Amino acid sequence: MEQLAQALAERIVPLVIEAIDIDALIDRVDIDKVVSRVDVDKVIDRVDVEKIIERVDVEKIIERVDINAIIDKVNIDALVEQTELGSIIARSTTGIVTEILDVIRAQGVGLDDFIFRWGNRLLGRRRKIASWPEGPPLLVEPKVGPVS
Amino acid sequence: MTISAPSAELTIGRQGHYAGAVSRLVAFGADVGASWGLYTLGVALFNAAYKLVTGSSYNLTNHQVLAVIILSVWEFVYYSYQWAVGGRTIGMAVFGLQVVTTEGGPIGVRQAVVRTLGLALSVAFFLFAFWGIIFQRERRAWDDLIAGTAVVYSWDARAARLRWMARTEGAMHGAVLHQQEQEHRLEPGQDVTSQP
Repeated sequence: MEQLAQALAERIVPLVIEAIDIDALIDRVDIDKVVSRVDVDKVIDRVDVEKIIERVDVEKIIERVDINAIIDKVNIDALVEQTELGSIIARSTTGIVTEILDVIRAQGVGLDDFIFRWGNRLLGRRRKIASWPEGPPLLVEPKVGPVS
Repeated sequence: MTISAPSAELTIGRQGHYAGAVSRLVAFGADVGASWGLYTLGVALFNAAYKLVTGSSYNLTNHQVLAVIILSVWEFVYYSYQWAVGGRTIGMAVFGLQVVTTEGGPIGVRQAVVRTLGLALSVAFFLFAFWGIIFQRERRAWDDLIAGTAVVYSWDARAARLRWMARTEGAMHGAVLHQQEQEHRLEPGQDVTSQP
């Protein structure tokens, strides 16, 4: 008897499911009414947030976040222009001396380039130096693509 | 008079790049000055202490061999210690340079010591030794080739640029306020937004 009932159920249930129009059924359900009857506070009270937090591996999440990509997306110049950040930085640092040093260093870089470029041009290595690395591999990404 | 900010290409864009001849020679000059100045100061302090203790004066210039030995040891300590600790000397720090391995990592004590000895050799053969900074593929002088090191630009260019921007922004804000004061005859310090 039980086997007969089981066999019948196995045949009838799929037929019934196929016959039901789930979309039409959902359309007839008043979701708002259902939601309004749910006591969210009670649900939240039953959730053990501490236990959930304990189970989250924050370090693993942080490891998966590409911090460099995020920083690259931040427009620092715009940030400084639109906020008080610039003034804070200016007030918190040594000021004019470091700015003068920055100018001197930049002038040095310009002169370095000039000497390097013209020194090698005189030796006819203008094309050759274009393929030379700009810095050590750990600090500067190697040049990509063919160099003419 | 205002100085315009150096271009980002020559500052932020060059961090980690091989440093060139001018920066390196100027930094070396600054180091020669700094080390000599510290040596002179040390000798003067020693003389003063000697006189205070013994009552008689001791002049190191009368003992040239000893003076040369002390100076050599001092120069060795000056360069090797600073390179071993932070990869840069006082002069290099001022001009934004750093000694790194050929891969770009921090150098060790052994490399710092070898580089110092190599520097002595480079100074002895100045005309030949430093040509590498201009003509070598990785801009390495003899001391770099001997020690397996390279010199790169390394200073906090981004912070410096932010300071420039902040200063410029502050100056512009001040100029605008001054103009507003003139136009609206505001009391100095009173913001235009507070006027009805």
